[in-house]
Amino acid sequence: MSAADRRPVLLWRLAILAALLVAWEWLTGIKAISRTPGLYWLDPFFISRPSAIVARFAYLASGQARLTIWQMALSTVQSTLWGFLVGVSTGFVAGLVLGRRRRLARVFEPYIVAFNSLPRIALVPLITMIFGFGVVAKIVLAWTIVFFIVFFNTFQGARSVDADLIHSARFLGASERQIMRTVVVPSALAWTFASLTPSISFALIGVVVGEFLGGESGGGLGYLIIQSLGTLNAADMMVALISLGVIGIVMAVGIRQVERRLLRWRPEYRA
Amino acid sequence: MAERHARIVIRRLTKTFREDGREVAAVQDVDVDVRDQEFVALVGPSGCGKSTILNMIGGLVTPSAGTVTVDGVPVDGRVPANVGYVFQKDTVFPWRTVARNIALGLEYRGVTGAEQARRVRDAVALAGLTGFEDAFPATLSGGMRQRVALMRTLVVEPEILLMDEPFGALDTHTKLTLHAELLALWEARHQTVVFVTHDLSEAITLADRVIVMTRRPGHVKLVHEVKLPRPRDVIALRETDAYALEYGRLWHVLGEEFAERA
Repeated sequence: MSAADRRPVLLWRLAILAALLVAWEWLTGIKAISRTPGLYWLDPFFISRPSAIVARFAYLASGQARLTIWQMALSTVQSTLWGFLVGVSTGFVAGLVLGRRRRLARVFEPYIVAFNSLPRIALVPLITMIFGFGVVAKIVLAWTIVFFIVFFNTFQGARSVDADLIHSARFLGASERQIMRTVVVPSALAWTFASLTPSISFALIGVVVGEFLGGESGGGLGYLIIQSLGTLNAADMMVALISLGVIGIVMAVGIRQVERRLLRWRPEYRA
Repeated sequence: MAERHARIVIRRLTKTFREDGREVAAVQDVDVDVRDQEFVALVGPSGCGKSTILNMIGGLVTPSAGTVTVDGVPVDGRVPANVGYVFQKDTVFPWRTVARNIALGLEYRGVTGAEQARRVRDAVALAGLTGFEDAFPATLSGGMRQRVALMRTLVVEPEILLMDEPFGALDTHTKLTLHAELLALWEARHQTVVFVTHDLSEAITLADRVIVMTRRPGHVKLVHEVKLPRPRDVIALRETDAYALEYGRLWHVLGEEFAERA
């Protein structure tokens, strides 16, 4: 898309955002029936209002709050990245090994399928029981999700390596090790990279769910959400949700940049 | 050409595949000798097992019966040493640039640094790919990719070259250009070549001997010596009476195979 085409799209987006914010602020400010308490067109008790959210954000961002929004965001981001890194690296190695060892893959298959079909949320209490309230439990939860996403992709990639690429490497004098390094790993990586964007999003989900249960020692934006539920504070909840949205977008865009760089040999990533 | 020693010896080579629960013979009792520095083309209708024969020479497919020896060593499900293989399919590694693809064989052999760079540079120049060293294969045409595959094979200087319809997917013009390039490269080094194709003009243009296969189960129908002088001009050659004569003779034999099929 050219710059000339992009401008109207951007303008429309901003216009819609502004309209939504104005409507939100306005509709939560007028009573449905005059002077009757509590009956708003849109009740700010549930969805707060932009002005209130900005005020809460300013407070949480300042040093007055016991736990600032920055500390909580940092905790969430750090746990997400750790869960992501550990999940991607272990999932990649496991996928590569099982993808190349048919026998081993067949032995492990039912266990992998069984564990993967378990809703990961159901594991939260158990993980908390084992790892306690805190950062480790969040990371472990993110890991259990990311691991399988990356594992299945890499496994598929390692399996579907073009046999003729392996043959041609062998004719060029490659040893089994060299075939692994120059053919199997790069072809599998293409599949692994494709799983990175969903992985970072799911890592964030895992971490936030972990924070719901993790309490203050785990910290994070998930903790802010649960705390706001306890105090029925919609403004704080909105602050947490918007922050999570921003974090999610920034991380997804970042990963996509990395992916684009690593997969630049693919036609669909060419500028 | 003076009689040279045989480098590839094929004896009573047979390959059967299981298909729907019954044995189907793809190749039956094939005897072929390929002499040193000889360019042999294997032609036949599709499904005649010519690629299977090539794969058995290359150790990619195990024979059901019979033997293949390369330089006196039986090929036994292993890739023989000193043999290069160019596939019909695009086997250029898409994640490596042109230069890094050509460097592969050198890398595997531990040839690194300046020596590797020099040999890659020479190969790139020889293939007319100068300026495309850092390009990824996805940005190249089919003809250029096949050039990369060819140079990648030749850069490690194999003495025996197995080629499985390497130009099969290319248009006529590109094909002729690559024929000329291949012949020039071959004139320089005189590798022993087994070239599989279903294109008779390609076989006559390139080869010293053309082996015509029957349709399935494939066996040798005719071994024909191509008496066209070398070096050959791939374009001018086709206008000569000698070429027409060779083509007519072989087409008659090959045509019988196509006709029976229809």
